[in-house]
Amino acid sequence: MSSDDKTLRKYDDILEEDNHMPRWWLVILFGSIVFGFGYWLAYHTTDTFPSPPEVYQADVAALKKQRATANPTSEEALTTLAASSEAIAEGQKVYAGTCAACHGANAEGLVGPNLTDKFWIHGASGTAILKAVAEGFPDKGMPAWGPVIGDTKARNVTAYVLSLKGKNLPGKEPQGDPVE
Amino acid sequence: MQTQRIEYDDAIVRRFIFASILFGVVGLLVGVHIAAELAWWQLNFSSPYLTFSRLRPLHTNAVIFAFVGNMMFAGVYYSTQRLTRTRMASDLLSKLHFWGWQLIIVAAAVTLPLGITTSKEYAELEWPIDIMIALVWVVFAINFFWTLAKRNEKHLYVALWFYIATILTVAVLHIVNSFALPLSLFKSYSAFAGVQDALVQWWYGHNAVAFFLTTPILGIMYYFMPKAAERPVYSYRLSIVHFWALVFMYIWAGPHHLLYTALPDWAQSLGMVFSVMLWAPSWGGMLNGLLTLRGAWNKVREDPVLKFFVAGVTFYGMSTFEGPLLSIKSVSALAHYTDWIIGHVHGGALGWNGLMAAGMFYWLVPRMYGTQLHSKKAADAHFWIATIGIVLYMVSMWISGVNQGLMWQARGADGTLTYPSFVETLIAIRPMYIVRFIGGSLYFTGFLVMIWNLLKTIAGKQAVVASTEVVVEAPGTPDPEAGTLVDVITGRPMWFTVVAFAAATAFVFVSLVPAIILAVAVLVIGEAAFLVQKRERAAGKLSWFGIIERRPFAFTALVLISVLIGGVAELMPTIFIKQAVPATGSAQQPYTALELQGRDLYTREGCYVCHSQMIRPMIDEYQRYGEASRAEEFIYDHPFQWGSKRTGPDLHRIGGRYPNLWHYTHLMDPRATSPGSNMPSYGWLADDKIDQGLGAKKLDLMTSLGVPYTPEQIANAKADQQLQGEAVAKDLLAQGVTVAPDSEMVAMIAYLQRLGRDRGVPYGESAVKTSDAVVPAPAAPADVAAPATGGGR
Repeated sequence: MSSDDKTLRKYDDILEEDNHMPRWWLVILFGSIVFGFGYWLAYHTTDTFPSPPEVYQADVAALKKQRATANPTSEEALTTLAASSEAIAEGQKVYAGTCAACHGANAEGLVGPNLTDKFWIHGASGTAILKAVAEGFPDKGMPAWGPVIGDTKARNVTAYVLSLKGKNLPGKEPQGDPVE
Repeated sequence: MQTQRIEYDDAIVRRFIFASILFGVVGLLVGVHIAAELAWWQLNFSSPYLTFSRLRPLHTNAVIFAFVGNMMFAGVYYSTQRLTRTRMASDLLSKLHFWGWQLIIVAAAVTLPLGITTSKEYAELEWPIDIMIALVWVVFAINFFWTLAKRNEKHLYVALWFYIATILTVAVLHIVNSFALPLSLFKSYSAFAGVQDALVQWWYGHNAVAFFLTTPILGIMYYFMPKAAERPVYSYRLSIVHFWALVFMYIWAGPHHLLYTALPDWAQSLGMVFSVMLWAPSWGGMLNGLLTLRGAWNKVREDPVLKFFVAGVTFYGMSTFEGPLLSIKSVSALAHYTDWIIGHVHGGALGWNGLMAAGMFYWLVPRMYGTQLHSKKAADAHFWIATIGIVLYMVSMWISGVNQGLMWQARGADGTLTYPSFVETLIAIRPMYIVRFIGGSLYFTGFLVMIWNLLKTIAGKQAVVASTEVVVEAPGTPDPEAGTLVDVITGRPMWFTVVAFAAATAFVFVSLVPAIILAVAVLVIGEAAFLVQKRERAAGKLSWFGIIERRPFAFTALVLISVLIGGVAELMPTIFIKQAVPATGSAQQPYTALELQGRDLYTREGCYVCHSQMIRPMIDEYQRYGEASRAEEFIYDHPFQWGSKRTGPDLHRIGGRYPNLWHYTHLMDPRATSPGSNMPSYGWLADDKIDQGLGAKKLDLMTSLGVPYTPEQIANAKADQQLQGEAVAKDLLAQGVTVAPDSEMVAMIAYLQRLGRDRGVPYGESAVKTSDAVVPAPAAPADVAAPATGGGR
């Protein structure tokens, strides 16, 4: 490496040599340029690999398909689920992380309505609640949680909400219509 | 031949060192404080002026422009005089430069906590200060080039090349990125919008790192490291190759800050491949520094100065390996918006800049006072405290960043998000915030040890007046090695580069077979250039590089061209993006006057510091935040608010997700709606009022920037604000909250509720369908393709 170890010039007592550039360094220099050309060939000149937006489209399509083919949920199935303590426990966990911020820690209502009273804005049936959870009412501030938490958790949290019926916790004032 | 005694101006160097150390304390202290705020949100003491989102820009500006800036000027003024063997051309200009720069710093320190900001990162200062920066920079440039012109050393040493590149490029970057229309003395709007603004900003932002924090410090390394080691610089030819490669390539790398955004994919790919290609040119600098120590490694054990330099250069090597790595799209997918990036930049700032600064101070200060460093032991202690501090900082941020990035992406077997609640991922990394705070505090402690040591060193000492004896040639004496101008423009290395670049440009536009031929041609040309250069050197011919290094103005012109090519190639097409038809075919609606006022509060408070407004085309972001953001959604965003870090969740499609009351509650006490959040309370928004009278003026100014407001909208701006404000206030009142319709709170909520709802449907009309606002409509695939093709108006 120091075969040509000789001084070229001198500046303010700094000596300047002109040694070879390390070979491995040149390999990185040229290698990264070759990589650059190769990357462009693979992604832009040809479409050998899908671009990030293409991958995204495919993923979204797959997710939609997965959701569309998920088992349709009947009122009976939800009622059965609401009797399962396991489903309720799971649902409660989801509730604490996702819903409590707006509906209160005990579903007594906060920003969102009280879920323990008998007043319902969008219906009190299992399917109505599941729809509210999954699709939301974005213009009223209820987000669509379906894409976020998925079908299983949405069903479990519905089961949990169904299990709250009749608790009538003191909290937010009644909203919507009474459902007996 | 006549000799002359030259007296160097070291007083200016001492001033800059003093300022650097003073502002170093400020920058580090603010850094430590805001690091603590992320772990303990209460630490803003409910004051807007001490809030993270306002102090973070103060921290970055103080460290970059005040600490490193003054250090850089000290190094440049000291070494340039010696490398040109002449005093700085004008003491007056030197003083103007110094005091002007300090005035800018003070102006920054006052305005940023007040929320006077453009919200463009590392360019937050408002337009009057921007103009001051430009003027002071011109003073610096004149002084520097004038000094080069009257130099007594024919050949420009590599350190000076780097200084030239710094002065030129920073000027170009600063001026272009600061284009704005002023509303008042303290408020302006970026001339660029959305995608263009983002691209210009990160072209600037990346190259502020490149040409403010890197190239000048490389120049300083080239001077001080061989001085301190008393060893020859390793390789002249390595310095040529890595200098020109850095200068040419760095400018292209900006888009790596915008990977997976609405920036067109081709620009992202360009940014990525140039970043990868920067690996070797950057390491060229590291190697030339480290290999200069050949045969002197034993000194590193003895001499604290060399310890700092060696560690600084090594951190430079680490950062410039990590940088290209993070620029690879799939790595960026994980790392972007996380603390990994924060760790990366602090490896550079604390490791490279901070340690190089300390090494330079330890070498320089005793010499300028004709004495020895007071305590080598204390300097050693500083070194180890600082190094441990940096390691704690970087490692904690790696862990935090990778951890949070993986949590965001995590999906269960049923395709749902494992951690749907953002705050879960924040709580998970809190311990790392505490470790980072400890690391930063250690580094700060080390800095204080240095100050004590330097003060002890100079206590009771008089500054030495340094001078040198130079041979003065009669003016007009020809320099046989400088060649002629014809030699410059016929230089073979230059033409090899031009041909290779033309081939590489053509490569981008052609189909596979010619593309492969052109790519091979570029490499063959590169190799041929090497061989020809080698032959000519063996034949003892005058080197073209040698010629231009004796012609500062030809050299400067070539640097300018090299820098401009990348800038023009990437920024010009953004004009074409601007002309592109909206990909979705639906017209965008400009913000209402109230929403615009709210938007100004969003920038004033620095919300973008912790929240992005850019949903990346990734399945987990689609599930968490909604469909990917598209270029045409930002055409009226002067300035863009995409952000670069998610300490909180993305907000681009927050509009309509929550009721007004949620936003009110959240802004008053973030933990009421998001337990575990580290966001401070923004309670003052409820008390302070907006100036409705400004609404019309703002709309009018926006019209000059191309936003299509009608004369009626401008005329009715005040009444419209009141009306929209009353609607929000009424809604809140119905739920028991009283706020004035003209309060800042209402404006902010109006803006937040508008975000992401612009699909040709003005906010407030109930045409927003359930399936439309959060879940993509059936037409989504066409929308989703938009990030690839661009769009906008």
